[in-house]
Amino acid sequence: MDILIIQILNSIFYACILFLIAAGLSLIYGVMRIINLAHGSLYALGAYVTAWAIGTFAAGAPLWVSFLLLPAGAVVVAAVGAAIEPTLLRPLYNRPEEYQLLITFALLLILEDAMHFLFGGTPLTAGAVIDSMGTMPIMNLRYPVYNLLVIAIGIAAAVFLWAFIYRTKFGVILRATSQNMRMASALGLNVKRVYVQAFALGCFMAGLGGAVVVPAQAAVLGMGIEALILAFVVVVIGGLGSLEGALIGALIVSFVRTAGIQFFPEIELAVLYLIAAVVLLVRPTGLSGRA
Amino acid sequence: MNLLETINLKKYFGETHAVDNVSLTIAEREFVSLVGPNGAGKTTLVNVVSALFRSDSGKILFKGDDITHTSVTERVKAGIARSFQIVNLFDDLTAFDNVTLAIFSRQGKTGNPATLAHLDHEVSAEADAVLAQFNLTSKRKEHARDLAQGERKLLDVALAYALKPKLLFLDEPTSGVSTRDKGQIMDTIASVVRGEGITAVIIEHDMDVVFKYSDRIVVMQQGAILAQGTPDAIRNNDQVAMILLGTSGPDAFTRKD
Repeated sequence: MDILIIQILNSIFYACILFLIAAGLSLIYGVMRIINLAHGSLYALGAYVTAWAIGTFAAGAPLWVSFLLLPAGAVVVAAVGAAIEPTLLRPLYNRPEEYQLLITFALLLILEDAMHFLFGGTPLTAGAVIDSMGTMPIMNLRYPVYNLLVIAIGIAAAVFLWAFIYRTKFGVILRATSQNMRMASALGLNVKRVYVQAFALGCFMAGLGGAVVVPAQAAVLGMGIEALILAFVVVVIGGLGSLEGALIGALIVSFVRTAGIQFFPEIELAVLYLIAAVVLLVRPTGLSGRA
Repeated sequence: MNLLETINLKKYFGETHAVDNVSLTIAEREFVSLVGPNGAGKTTLVNVVSALFRSDSGKILFKGDDITHTSVTERVKAGIARSFQIVNLFDDLTAFDNVTLAIFSRQGKTGNPATLAHLDHEVSAEADAVLAQFNLTSKRKEHARDLAQGERKLLDVALAYALKPKLLFLDEPTSGVSTRDKGQIMDTIASVVRGEGITAVIIEHDMDVVFKYSDRIVVMQQGAILAQGTPDAIRNNDQVAMILLGTSGPDAFTRKD
Protein backbone atom coordinates (compact mmCIF):
# COMPACT_ATOMS: atom_id res chain seq x y z
CA MET A 1 0.00 0.00 0.00
CA ASP A 2 2.73 2.46 0.99
CA ILE A 3 4.74 1.47 -2.04
CA LEU A 4 1.71 2.05 -4.22
CA ILE A 5 1.28 5.61 -2.97
CA ILE A 6 4.96 6.31 -3.49
CA GLN A 7 4.76 4.89 -7.00
CA ILE A 8 1.72 7.02 -7.77
CA LEU A 9 3.55 10.10 -6.52
CA ASN A 10 6.57 9.15 -8.59
CA SER A 11 4.37 8.76 -11.63
CA ILE A 12 2.81 12.18 -11.12
CA PHE A 13 6.25 13.71 -10.57
CA TYR A 14 7.45 12.19 -13.79
CA ALA A 15 4.26 13.19 -15.62
CA CYS A 16 4.84 16.82 -14.62
CA ILE A 17 8.31 16.82 -16.16
CA LEU A 18 7.07 15.08 -19.29
CA PHE A 19 4.14 17.47 -19.55
CA LEU A 20 6.44 20.49 -19.43
CA ILE A 21 8.57 19.07 -22.25
CA ALA A 22 5.70 17.77 -24.39
CA ALA A 23 3.55 20.89 -23.95
CA GLY A 24 6.40 23.00 -25.32
CA LEU A 25 6.90 20.63 -28.24
CA SER A 26 3.17 20.62 -28.93
CA LEU A 27 2.82 24.39 -28.64
CA ILE A 28 5.60 24.99 -31.16
CA TYR A 29 4.10 22.47 -33.56
CA GLY A 30 0.60 23.87 -33.08
CA VAL A 31 1.60 27.41 -33.95
CA MET A 32 4.43 26.97 -36.44
CA ARG A 33 3.92 23.41 -37.73
CA ILE A 34 7.55 22.68 -36.91
CA ILE A 35 8.63 19.41 -35.33
CA ASN A 36 11.50 20.58 -33.20
CA LEU A 37 13.93 17.67 -32.95
CA ALA A 38 16.21 19.81 -30.77
CA HIS A 39 13.48 20.12 -28.12
CA GLY A 40 14.93 17.37 -25.90
CA SER A 41 18.35 18.98 -26.07
CA LEU A 42 16.84 22.28 -24.97
CA TYR A 43 15.39 20.43 -21.98
CA ALA A 44 18.88 19.07 -21.25
CA LEU A 45 20.34 22.55 -21.64
CA GLY A 46 17.87 23.84 -19.04
CA ALA A 47 19.01 21.10 -16.64
CA TYR A 48 22.70 21.84 -17.20
CA VAL A 49 22.34 25.61 -16.83
CA THR A 50 20.37 25.31 -13.58
CA ALA A 51 22.74 22.71 -12.16
CA TRP A 52 25.72 24.83 -13.12
CA ALA A 53 24.18 28.04 -11.72
CA ILE A 54 23.27 26.39 -8.41
CA GLY A 55 26.63 24.61 -8.19
CA THR A 56 28.54 27.81 -8.92
CA PHE A 57 26.63 30.48 -7.02
CA ALA A 58 24.65 28.70 -4.33
CA ALA A 59 27.33 26.50 -2.77
CA GLY A 60 27.20 27.10 0.97
CA ALA A 61 24.49 29.78 0.53
CA PRO A 62 21.03 29.47 2.11
CA LEU A 63 18.36 27.43 0.33
CA TRP A 64 16.46 30.44 -1.03
CA VAL A 65 19.45 31.33 -3.23
CA SER A 66 19.10 27.95 -4.92
CA PHE A 67 15.40 28.59 -5.47
CA LEU A 68 16.19 31.94 -7.00
CA LEU A 69 18.60 30.24 -9.39
CA LEU A 70 16.29 27.34 -10.23
CA PRO A 71 14.48 29.12 -13.14
CA ALA A 72 17.85 30.15 -14.68
CA GLY A 73 17.77 27.15 -17.03
CA ALA A 74 14.29 28.01 -18.29
CA VAL A 75 15.17 31.66 -18.88
CA VAL A 76 18.40 30.85 -20.72
CA VAL A 77 16.67 28.27 -22.91
CA ALA A 78 13.87 30.74 -23.73
CA ALA A 79 16.52 33.27 -24.78
CA VAL A 80 18.23 30.64 -26.94
CA GLY A 81 14.85 29.89 -28.52
CA ALA A 82 14.20 33.58 -29.19
CA ALA A 83 17.54 33.70 -30.99
CA ILE A 84 17.05 30.45 -32.96
CA GLU A 85 13.61 31.16 -34.42
CA PRO A 86 14.32 34.34 -36.42
CA THR A 87 17.79 33.28 -37.56
CA LEU A 88 17.56 29.55 -38.31
CA LEU A 89 13.88 28.65 -38.66
CA ARG A 90 12.26 31.70 -40.27
CA PRO A 91 14.08 31.32 -43.60
CA LEU A 92 12.68 27.79 -43.91
CA TYR A 93 8.94 28.29 -43.42
CA ASN A 94 8.30 28.32 -47.16
CA ARG A 95 10.40 25.21 -47.77
CA PRO A 96 9.25 21.58 -47.51
CA GLU A 97 9.16 20.02 -44.04
CA GLU A 98 12.34 18.00 -44.59
CA TYR A 99 14.38 21.18 -44.35
CA GLN A 100 12.90 21.97 -40.94
CA LEU A 101 13.58 18.43 -39.74
CA LEU A 102 17.15 18.66 -41.03
CA ILE A 103 17.87 21.99 -39.39
CA THR A 104 16.36 21.04 -36.03
CA PHE A 105 18.28 17.75 -36.18
CA ALA A 106 21.47 19.70 -36.89
CA LEU A 107 20.60 21.90 -33.94
CA LEU A 108 20.22 18.81 -31.75
CA LEU A 109 23.73 17.64 -32.71
CA ILE A 110 25.22 21.10 -32.18
CA LEU A 111 23.54 21.52 -28.79
CA GLU A 112 24.67 18.08 -27.60
CA ASP A 113 28.29 18.88 -28.52
CA ALA A 114 28.06 22.39 -27.11
CA MET A 115 26.87 21.00 -23.76
CA HIS A 116 29.65 18.42 -23.77
CA PHE A 117 32.13 21.20 -24.46
CA LEU A 118 30.72 23.65 -21.90
CA PHE A 119 29.83 21.36 -19.01
CA GLY A 120 32.16 18.39 -19.58
CA GLY A 121 31.39 14.71 -19.62
CA THR A 122 30.68 14.20 -15.93
CA PRO A 123 27.12 14.49 -14.62
CA LEU A 124 26.20 17.81 -13.02
CA THR A 125 23.92 17.72 -9.99
CA ALA A 126 22.03 20.14 -7.82
CA GLY A 127 21.25 17.40 -5.30
CA ALA A 128 21.98 19.73 -2.37
CA VAL A 129 18.55 21.29 -2.92
CA ILE A 130 16.66 18.03 -2.57
CA ASP A 131 18.79 17.00 0.42
CA SER A 132 18.33 20.23 2.32
CA MET A 133 14.55 20.17 1.81
CA GLY A 134 14.40 16.80 3.51
CA THR A 135 11.63 14.23 3.39
CA MET A 136 8.15 13.90 4.74
CA PRO A 137 6.40 10.80 6.02
CA ILE A 138 3.95 9.04 3.73
CA MET A 139 2.42 6.24 5.84
CA ASN A 140 5.47 4.30 6.99
CA LEU A 141 7.81 5.54 4.27
CA ARG A 142 9.45 8.88 3.59
CA TYR A 143 9.14 10.96 0.41
CA PRO A 144 11.32 13.92 -0.73
CA VAL A 145 9.53 17.23 -0.16
CA TYR A 146 11.17 18.58 -3.30
CA ASN A 147 9.32 16.08 -5.48
CA LEU A 148 6.03 17.40 -4.13
CA LEU A 149 7.19 20.90 -5.00
CA VAL A 150 7.86 19.79 -8.58
CA ILE A 151 4.36 18.34 -8.76
CA ALA A 152 3.01 21.70 -7.58
CA ILE A 153 5.12 23.52 -10.19
CA GLY A 154 3.88 21.16 -12.90
CA ILE A 155 0.24 21.70 -11.97
CA ALA A 156 0.77 25.45 -11.73
CA ALA A 157 2.47 25.46 -15.15
CA ALA A 158 -0.42 23.52 -16.69
CA VAL A 159 -3.00 25.92 -15.23
CA PHE A 160 -0.93 28.94 -16.19
CA LEU A 161 -0.39 27.73 -19.74
CA TRP A 162 -4.07 26.89 -20.14
CA ALA A 163 -5.14 30.33 -18.86
CA PHE A 164 -2.51 32.00 -21.00
CA ILE A 165 -3.68 30.28 -24.18
CA TYR A 166 -7.44 30.32 -23.58
CA ARG A 167 -8.00 33.46 -21.56
CA THR A 168 -5.55 36.18 -22.54
CA LYS A 169 -5.29 38.48 -25.53
CA PHE A 170 -1.99 36.88 -26.45
CA GLY A 171 -3.68 33.49 -26.36
CA VAL A 172 -6.44 34.58 -28.73
CA ILE A 173 -3.81 35.92 -31.12
CA LEU A 174 -1.74 32.75 -30.75
CA ARG A 175 -4.66 30.44 -31.46
CA ALA A 176 -5.76 32.57 -34.39
CA THR A 177 -2.27 32.52 -35.90
CA SER A 178 -2.04 28.76 -35.50
CA GLN A 179 -5.40 28.28 -37.22
CA ASN A 180 -5.00 30.64 -40.13
CA MET A 181 -1.64 32.33 -40.49
CA ARG A 182 -2.53 34.01 -43.79
CA MET A 183 -5.68 35.58 -42.38
CA ALA A 184 -3.88 36.67 -39.22
CA SER A 185 -1.32 38.48 -41.29
CA ALA A 186 -4.02 40.01 -43.54
CA LEU A 187 -5.67 41.36 -40.39
CA GLY A 188 -2.42 43.15 -39.67
CA LEU A 189 -1.32 40.96 -36.77
CA ASN A 190 2.44 40.74 -36.41
CA VAL A 191 2.87 37.05 -37.22
CA LYS A 192 6.65 37.21 -37.00
CA ARG A 193 6.45 38.45 -33.43
CA VAL A 194 3.89 35.79 -32.50
CA TYR A 195 6.23 33.12 -33.89
CA VAL A 196 9.21 34.32 -31.86
CA GLN A 197 7.09 34.52 -28.72
CA ALA A 198 5.52 31.10 -29.23
CA PHE A 199 8.86 29.46 -29.94
CA ALA A 200 10.48 31.12 -26.94
CA LEU A 201 7.54 30.06 -24.74
CA GLY A 202 7.79 26.47 -25.98
CA CYS A 203 11.54 26.48 -25.27
CA PHE A 204 10.89 28.00 -21.85
CA MET A 205 8.65 25.04 -21.01
CA ALA A 206 11.38 22.57 -22.04
CA GLY A 207 13.98 24.51 -20.08
CA LEU A 208 11.70 24.62 -17.04
CA GLY A 209 11.32 20.85 -17.22
CA GLY A 210 15.10 20.49 -17.16
CA ALA A 211 15.49 23.10 -14.44
CA VAL A 212 13.08 21.43 -12.02
CA VAL A 213 14.27 17.89 -12.69
CA VAL A 214 17.93 18.55 -12.04
CA PRO A 215 17.85 18.60 -8.22
CA ALA A 216 16.26 15.14 -8.39
CA GLN A 217 18.26 13.71 -11.30
CA ALA A 218 21.72 14.78 -12.39
CA ALA A 219 22.16 16.41 -15.78
CA VAL A 220 23.92 13.89 -18.03
CA LEU A 221 24.80 13.72 -21.70
CA GLY A 222 22.11 11.92 -23.62
CA MET A 223 19.26 12.92 -21.31
CA GLY A 224 17.92 15.19 -24.07
CA ILE A 225 17.59 12.39 -26.61
CA GLU A 226 15.81 10.16 -24.11
CA ALA A 227 13.44 12.99 -23.23
CA LEU A 228 12.77 13.72 -26.91
CA ILE A 229 11.77 10.12 -27.58
CA LEU A 230 9.43 10.03 -24.59
CA ALA A 231 7.99 13.44 -25.51
CA PHE A 232 7.21 12.09 -28.98
CA VAL A 233 5.43 9.10 -27.44
CA VAL A 234 3.46 11.55 -25.29
CA VAL A 235 2.35 13.72 -28.23
CA VAL A 236 1.59 10.71 -30.42
CA ILE A 237 -0.69 9.34 -27.72
CA GLY A 238 -2.20 12.68 -26.70
CA GLY A 239 -2.30 14.41 -30.07
CA LEU A 240 0.29 16.80 -31.47
CA GLY A 241 -0.63 20.46 -31.10
CA SER A 242 -3.03 19.92 -28.21
CA LEU A 243 -2.40 21.06 -24.65
CA GLU A 244 -4.89 18.62 -23.15
CA GLY A 245 -3.28 15.91 -25.23
CA ALA A 246 0.13 16.67 -23.75
CA LEU A 247 -1.37 16.35 -20.28
CA ILE A 248 -3.20 13.08 -20.95
CA GLY A 249 -0.22 11.64 -22.83
CA ALA A 250 2.22 12.60 -20.07
CA LEU A 251 0.06 10.92 -17.43
CA ILE A 252 -0.36 7.72 -19.46
CA VAL A 253 3.32 7.46 -20.34
CA SER A 254 4.60 8.08 -16.83
CA PHE A 255 2.13 5.73 -15.12
CA VAL A 256 2.84 2.97 -17.63
CA ARG A 257 6.54 3.57 -17.30
CA THR A 258 6.52 3.49 -13.51
CA ALA A 259 4.47 0.29 -13.57
CA GLY A 260 6.79 -1.06 -16.22
CA ILE A 261 9.90 -0.49 -14.17
CA GLN A 262 8.20 -2.24 -11.25
CA PHE A 263 6.59 -5.20 -12.99
CA PHE A 264 8.01 -5.72 -16.48
CA PRO A 265 11.34 -3.88 -16.71
CA GLU A 266 12.56 -5.84 -19.75
CA ILE A 267 9.81 -4.57 -22.05
CA GLU A 268 8.99 -1.25 -20.38
CA LEU A 269 9.77 0.93 -23.45
CA ALA A 270 8.29 -1.63 -25.83
CA VAL A 271 4.94 -1.35 -24.02
CA LEU A 272 5.00 2.43 -24.48
CA TYR A 273 5.67 2.10 -28.19
CA LEU A 274 2.92 -0.47 -28.40
CA ILE A 275 0.44 1.96 -26.83
CA ALA A 276 1.59 4.67 -29.24
CA ALA A 277 1.18 2.28 -32.18
CA VAL A 278 -2.33 1.31 -31.10
CA VAL A 279 -3.32 4.96 -30.73
CA LEU A 280 -1.92 5.67 -34.20
CA LEU A 281 -3.97 2.81 -35.61
CA VAL A 282 -7.22 3.66 -33.85
CA ARG A 283 -7.00 7.45 -33.63
CA PRO A 284 -4.19 8.72 -35.86
CA THR A 285 -4.59 12.26 -34.57
CA GLY A 286 -4.07 11.21 -30.94
CA LEU A 287 -6.54 10.94 -28.10
CA SER A 288 -7.45 14.63 -28.06
CA GLY A 289 -6.08 15.74 -31.40
CA ARG A 290 -8.20 17.01 -34.24
CA ALA A 291 -7.94 15.96 -37.84
CA MET B 1 -10.31 64.44 -52.23
CA ASN B 2 -8.81 61.23 -53.54
CA LEU B 3 -8.36 58.58 -50.88
CA LEU B 4 -6.60 56.06 -53.10
CA GLU B 5 -4.71 56.55 -56.29
CA THR B 6 -2.86 53.94 -58.32
CA ILE B 7 -0.50 55.17 -61.02
CA ASN B 8 0.46 52.84 -63.88
CA LEU B 9 0.25 49.83 -61.56
CA LYS B 10 1.54 46.57 -63.03
CA LYS B 11 1.56 42.99 -61.80
CA TYR B 12 2.61 40.25 -64.19
CA PHE B 13 2.63 36.51 -63.58
CA GLY B 14 4.98 35.31 -66.28
CA GLU B 15 3.18 35.95 -69.55
CA THR B 16 -0.07 36.89 -67.87
CA HIS B 17 -0.60 40.61 -67.42
CA ALA B 18 -2.87 40.32 -64.38
CA VAL B 19 -2.79 44.04 -63.65
CA ASP B 20 -1.67 46.01 -66.65
CA ASN B 21 -0.96 49.70 -66.26
CA VAL B 22 -3.93 50.47 -64.04
CA SER B 23 -4.40 54.08 -63.02
CA LEU B 24 -7.41 54.35 -60.79
CA THR B 25 -8.59 56.92 -58.30
CA ILE B 26 -11.10 56.34 -55.52
CA ALA B 27 -12.63 59.34 -53.83
CA GLU B 28 -13.38 59.51 -50.12
CA ARG B 29 -16.73 57.95 -49.11
CA GLU B 30 -17.25 56.52 -52.55
CA PHE B 31 -18.89 53.09 -53.04
CA VAL B 32 -17.16 51.58 -56.05
CA SER B 33 -17.82 48.24 -57.71
CA LEU B 34 -15.10 46.42 -59.58
CA VAL B 35 -16.59 44.20 -62.27
CA GLY B 36 -15.32 42.17 -65.19
CA PRO B 37 -15.07 38.60 -66.42
CA ASN B 38 -13.12 35.97 -64.47
CA GLY B 39 -9.41 36.56 -64.84
CA ALA B 40 -9.84 40.27 -65.53
CA GLY B 41 -7.44 41.08 -62.68
CA LYS B 42 -9.90 42.44 -60.12
CA THR B 43 -8.71 40.32 -57.21
CA THR B 44 -5.06 40.76 -58.19
CA LEU B 45 -5.53 44.53 -58.17
CA VAL B 46 -7.03 44.36 -54.66
CA ASN B 47 -4.22 42.02 -53.56
CA VAL B 48 -1.60 44.48 -54.78
CA VAL B 49 -3.28 47.44 -53.10
CA SER B 50 -3.66 45.52 -49.81
CA ALA B 51 0.02 44.39 -50.05
CA LEU B 52 -0.61 40.65 -50.34
CA PHE B 53 1.26 40.91 -53.65
CA ARG B 54 4.05 43.27 -54.55
CA SER B 55 3.53 45.31 -57.70
CA ASP B 56 6.09 44.98 -60.49
CA SER B 57 5.99 48.69 -61.21
CA GLY B 58 3.81 51.72 -60.66
CA LYS B 59 2.79 53.60 -57.55
CA ILE B 60 0.08 53.41 -54.92
CA LEU B 61 -0.87 56.61 -53.11
CA PHE B 62 -3.12 56.53 -50.05
CA LYS B 63 -4.25 59.86 -48.64
CA GLY B 64 -1.51 61.34 -50.81
CA ASP B 65 1.27 59.23 -49.23
CA ASP B 66 3.28 56.79 -51.32
CA ILE B 67 2.57 53.35 -49.78
CA THR B 68 3.89 51.24 -52.67
CA HIS B 69 6.57 49.57 -50.60
CA THR B 70 4.83 49.24 -47.24
CA SER B 71 3.82 45.91 -45.61
CA VAL B 72 0.35 44.52 -44.94
CA THR B 73 0.59 45.54 -41.29
CA GLU B 74 1.52 49.09 -42.21
CA ARG B 75 -1.34 49.36 -44.68
CA VAL B 76 -3.85 48.01 -42.16
CA LYS B 77 -2.56 50.59 -39.75
CA ALA B 78 -2.91 53.32 -42.38
CA GLY B 79 -6.55 52.27 -42.84
CA ILE B 80 -6.82 49.71 -45.64
CA ALA B 81 -8.71 46.51 -44.84
CA ARG B 82 -10.18 43.72 -46.92
CA SER B 83 -12.29 40.61 -46.88
CA PHE B 84 -11.64 37.56 -49.00
CA GLN B 85 -13.51 35.85 -51.82
CA ILE B 86 -13.27 32.57 -49.97
CA VAL B 87 -14.38 33.29 -46.43
CA ASN B 88 -11.35 33.43 -44.20
CA LEU B 89 -12.23 33.10 -40.56
CA PHE B 90 -10.67 31.58 -37.48
CA ASP B 91 -12.94 28.55 -37.45
CA ASP B 92 -12.14 27.30 -33.96
CA LEU B 93 -12.76 30.68 -32.36
CA THR B 94 -16.18 32.08 -31.50
CA ALA B 95 -17.71 34.86 -33.58
CA PHE B 96 -16.98 37.16 -30.65
CA ASP B 97 -13.30 36.14 -30.47
CA ASN B 98 -12.94 36.57 -34.22
CA VAL B 99 -14.02 40.19 -33.88
CA THR B 100 -11.94 40.86 -30.76
CA LEU B 101 -8.93 39.64 -32.69
CA ALA B 102 -9.40 42.36 -35.29
CA ILE B 103 -9.68 44.90 -32.47
CA PHE B 104 -6.50 43.58 -30.81
CA SER B 105 -4.75 43.82 -34.15
CA ARG B 106 -5.82 47.43 -34.52
CA GLN B 107 -4.65 48.26 -31.00
CA GLY B 108 -1.24 46.79 -31.80
CA LYS B 109 1.35 47.26 -29.09
CA THR B 110 -0.82 49.57 -27.02
CA GLY B 111 -2.72 46.61 -25.60
CA ASN B 112 -1.11 44.54 -22.86
CA PRO B 113 -0.96 41.01 -24.30
CA ALA B 114 -1.26 39.31 -20.91
CA THR B 115 -4.60 40.98 -20.20
CA LEU B 116 -7.45 38.59 -19.65
CA ALA B 117 -9.34 38.95 -22.90
CA HIS B 118 -12.87 38.76 -21.53
CA LEU B 119 -12.06 41.24 -18.78
CA ASP B 120 -11.16 43.99 -21.21
CA HIS B 121 -14.53 45.73 -21.10
CA GLU B 122 -13.69 48.28 -23.74
CA VAL B 123 -12.81 45.59 -26.27
CA SER B 124 -15.78 43.41 -25.30
CA ALA B 125 -18.17 46.32 -25.65
CA GLU B 126 -16.78 47.25 -29.03
CA ALA B 127 -16.86 43.65 -30.27
CA ASP B 128 -20.49 43.35 -29.18
CA ALA B 129 -21.33 46.60 -30.95
CA VAL B 130 -19.73 45.36 -34.16
CA LEU B 131 -21.61 42.06 -33.94
CA ALA B 132 -24.85 44.00 -33.45
CA GLN B 133 -24.16 46.18 -36.49
CA PHE B 134 -23.84 43.05 -38.59
CA ASN B 135 -26.89 41.33 -37.05
CA LEU B 136 -24.73 38.64 -35.48
CA THR B 137 -25.46 39.26 -31.80
CA SER B 138 -27.26 35.93 -31.38
CA LYS B 139 -24.25 34.07 -32.84
CA ARG B 140 -21.77 35.64 -30.41
CA LYS B 141 -20.72 32.43 -28.71
CA GLU B 142 -20.87 30.12 -31.69
CA HIS B 143 -17.72 28.88 -33.35
CA ALA B 144 -17.17 30.39 -36.75
CA ARG B 145 -17.27 26.92 -38.33
CA ASP B 146 -20.86 26.41 -37.15
CA LEU B 147 -22.27 29.55 -38.77
CA ALA B 148 -24.34 29.51 -41.95
CA GLN B 149 -22.64 30.66 -45.14
CA GLY B 150 -24.39 34.04 -45.13
CA GLU B 151 -23.41 34.64 -41.51
CA ARG B 152 -19.83 33.66 -42.26
CA LYS B 153 -19.77 36.19 -45.07
CA LEU B 154 -21.04 38.90 -42.74
CA LEU B 155 -18.58 37.95 -40.00
CA ASP B 156 -15.77 38.15 -42.54
CA VAL B 157 -16.79 41.69 -43.43
CA ALA B 158 -17.27 42.50 -39.73
CA LEU B 159 -13.64 41.52 -39.07
CA ALA B 160 -12.37 43.85 -41.76
CA TYR B 161 -14.72 46.54 -40.48
CA ALA B 162 -13.50 46.14 -36.88
CA LEU B 163 -10.07 47.27 -38.06
CA LYS B 164 -11.75 50.70 -38.49
CA PRO B 165 -10.53 51.15 -42.04
CA LYS B 166 -10.92 54.23 -44.17
CA LEU B 167 -10.88 52.04 -47.26
CA LEU B 168 -12.59 48.65 -47.25
CA PHE B 169 -12.14 46.08 -50.02
CA LEU B 170 -14.78 43.36 -50.20
CA ASP B 171 -14.06 40.48 -52.55
CA GLU B 172 -17.39 38.99 -53.61
CA PRO B 173 -19.22 39.53 -50.34
CA THR B 174 -22.32 37.71 -51.63
CA SER B 175 -20.82 34.78 -53.53
CA GLY B 176 -22.15 31.38 -52.57
CA VAL B 177 -25.31 32.59 -50.79
CA SER B 178 -28.93 32.48 -51.86
CA THR B 179 -30.50 35.41 -53.73
CA ARG B 180 -32.65 36.24 -50.71
CA ASP B 181 -29.62 36.35 -48.40
CA LYS B 182 -27.72 38.44 -50.92
CA GLY B 183 -30.04 41.40 -50.48
CA GLN B 184 -29.85 41.13 -46.70
CA ILE B 185 -26.07 40.93 -46.68
CA MET B 186 -25.67 43.87 -49.05
CA ASP B 187 -28.21 45.97 -47.14
CA THR B 188 -26.31 45.33 -43.92
CA ILE B 189 -22.95 46.11 -45.48
CA ALA B 190 -24.22 49.22 -47.26
CA SER B 191 -25.85 50.62 -44.14
CA VAL B 192 -22.68 50.14 -42.07
CA VAL B 193 -20.39 51.51 -44.78
CA ARG B 194 -22.57 54.53 -45.56
CA GLY B 195 -23.34 55.14 -41.92
CA GLU B 196 -19.70 55.24 -40.90
CA GLY B 197 -18.50 57.13 -43.97
CA ILE B 198 -16.20 54.34 -45.09
CA THR B 199 -14.94 54.19 -48.64
CA ALA B 200 -15.76 50.79 -50.08
CA VAL B 201 -14.58 48.90 -53.13
CA ILE B 202 -16.40 45.65 -53.82
CA ILE B 203 -15.69 42.97 -56.38
CA GLU B 204 -19.02 41.58 -57.50
CA HIS B 205 -20.44 39.50 -60.33
CA ASP B 206 -24.14 40.02 -59.66
CA MET B 207 -24.96 43.09 -61.76
CA ASP B 208 -28.25 43.66 -59.90
CA VAL B 209 -26.25 44.15 -56.73
CA VAL B 210 -23.69 46.30 -58.53
CA PHE B 211 -26.25 48.64 -60.06
CA LYS B 212 -28.24 48.96 -56.86
CA TYR B 213 -25.48 49.90 -54.44
CA SER B 214 -22.61 51.53 -56.38
CA ASP B 215 -21.79 55.19 -56.83
CA ARG B 216 -19.40 54.25 -59.58
CA ILE B 217 -18.62 51.10 -61.51
CA VAL B 218 -15.17 50.21 -62.80
CA VAL B 219 -15.06 47.55 -65.52
CA MET B 220 -11.84 45.58 -65.94
CA GLN B 221 -10.78 43.30 -68.74
CA GLN B 222 -7.45 41.51 -69.22
CA GLY B 223 -5.81 43.46 -66.44
CA ALA B 224 -6.80 46.90 -67.68
CA ILE B 225 -9.64 49.31 -67.00
CA LEU B 226 -12.07 49.12 -69.87
CA ALA B 227 -14.68 51.62 -68.73
CA GLN B 228 -15.89 53.39 -65.65
CA GLY B 229 -18.84 55.51 -64.77
CA THR B 230 -22.12 55.78 -62.92
CA PRO B 231 -24.46 52.78 -62.90
CA ASP B 232 -26.60 54.44 -65.57
CA ALA B 233 -23.66 55.13 -67.84
CA ILE B 234 -22.40 51.54 -67.51
CA ARG B 235 -25.87 50.09 -68.01
CA ASN B 236 -26.04 51.78 -71.40
CA ASN B 237 -22.49 50.97 -72.45
CA ASP B 238 -22.73 48.41 -75.26
CA GLN B 239 -19.09 47.45 -75.09
CA VAL B 240 -19.43 46.58 -71.41
CA ALA B 241 -22.60 44.61 -71.99
CA MET B 242 -20.83 42.66 -74.72
CA ILE B 243 -17.98 41.74 -72.39
CA LEU B 244 -19.99 40.94 -69.32
CA LEU B 245 -23.00 39.30 -70.93
CA GLY B 246 -21.92 38.41 -74.45
CA THR B 247 -24.88 40.40 -75.73
CA SER B 248 -25.65 44.08 -76.13
CA GLY B 249 -28.44 46.44 -77.06
CA PRO B 250 -30.99 48.28 -74.93
CA ASP B 251 -31.88 46.62 -71.64
CA ALA B 252 -29.19 43.99 -72.04
CA PHE B 253 -28.62 44.02 -68.27
CA THR B 254 -32.24 43.67 -67.34
CA ARG B 255 -32.91 40.75 -69.68
CA LYS B 256 -32.76 37.53 -67.77
CA ASP B 257 -31.84 34.25 -69.31
